[in-house]
Amino acid sequence: MSGPDAMHDEMPGFSPGRPGGERDEPLLDMIFDRRPIPPGAPPKMHDLASMLAVAAGPAESGDLAGEAAALAAFARLVSPASVSPAVSRPARRWLSRRPARTRLPLAAALVTAAAGLGSITAAYAGVLPSPIQQVAHVTVGAPAPPRDHSHRPLAITRSQPGGTHDRSTSARPPSHSNIPSPTPDSSSVRPPHPGRSGRSPRPVSATCTPRPVPTHTLGAPGPTLSPPKPGAPGWTPGSRGAASCPAIATQHAVPHPSR
Amino acid sequence: MGGAFGDILARAQGGDEAAFACIFRDVQPALLRYLRVIALEAEDVAGETWLQVVAGMTGFRGDEQAFRAWLFTIARHRAIDAGRSRARRPTVPLDLSEAAEQLVSADSADLALEAVSARAVVNLIAELPPDQAEVIMLRVVADLDSGDVARIVGKTPGAVRVAAHRGLRRLAEIAQRAGVTQ
Repeated sequence: MSGPDAMHDEMPGFSPGRPGGERDEPLLDMIFDRRPIPPGAPPKMHDLASMLAVAAGPAESGDLAGEAAALAAFARLVSPASVSPAVSRPARRWLSRRPARTRLPLAAALVTAAAGLGSITAAYAGVLPSPIQQVAHVTVGAPAPPRDHSHRPLAITRSQPGGTHDRSTSARPPSHSNIPSPTPDSSSVRPPHPGRSGRSPRPVSATCTPRPVPTHTLGAPGPTLSPPKPGAPGWTPGSRGAASCPAIATQHAVPHPSR
Repeated sequence: MGGAFGDILARAQGGDEAAFACIFRDVQPALLRYLRVIALEAEDVAGETWLQVVAGMTGFRGDEQAFRAWLFTIARHRAIDAGRSRARRPTVPLDLSEAAEQLVSADSADLALEAVSARAVVNLIAELPPDQAEVIMLRVVADLDSGDVARIVGKTPGAVRVAAHRGLRRLAEIAQRAGVTQ
């Protein structure tokens, strides 16, 4: 063969690969680089460039559908206005994500611990029924239960010399707060009726807060308040007696000296 | 966004929602179109992508090109994750190419290229072999160079160029067959 080699379009029917594959590469690169295609390029290339320009065009309907969610995520994670609430959130999320089977034992453990702590405190306060108090005395070293003729004094446990202590108020047992008489009259602090002793409504502070075991009574003479002895009328095994209640009532009634 | 990107990104990193919205509106169309080619649940994957972008935005350093490359890398990983997750769930497969054909046929009834929507073109690209379609989307729609695309898809720049050229030639044929081009 003489002369220069024939070009592709000079050899119809012969295609070494894709027809014109080598010659269109610069044009394809121009399309990818978004450079203008020469006017003399095949119409197919112009169409291809136009089509790809449409594909890379501005947003159409639905293309920005997730904007609200993305902005919300941004506000939650990056925006400084939401930093402080977000800081306090992880622990709460962690707790709320705990599966129910771990939350239930946790709640049971907390309730048990609270009940045990309350029982021990009550034992040290000496306000438990005698048999239970005896057990507490043996096991945790709580004070021994009162003997047959020993009784817990119902008067205030400690004297407050020089304070703003109101003796008449302090001597009033909250267990009889439903009795209208405000004075510490022995008649008004008579033990409640046996049928009502365990069920009479009492202020929460008087029924829930244990107090220490009374060690001494007020120095000044006053009405002697005795709880019902075991077996005596008015005594019920479930009744705590009123030993802890007057002090509680005093706490609420007497303003703090610093105030 | 051009030269303003650095300032906009800095404001977004400082918590400026308007700046973040500007970035979102600039990138989201390309992101969604890219994901419609490589993933079935494009909107869901886009949402996952933005979540990760938002979480890592404050630590990002780079220009606009690097930002786009980073974002589309995340998108590709999330799409792969979604595909794996979907593969674990037995579902009835949907023939997307057939759906795309129907959509293109509806658009191509007018036989006017000006009337073809971006979505229709994306559907045409989705008919290509997956590697060619992805490369074209990353090169043209995401506006990434061959080096970035090569890093994202795990190929050499030469292989990316070859796949892109083959894909464009084939796309021209598909468009002509569909009546979108002459």
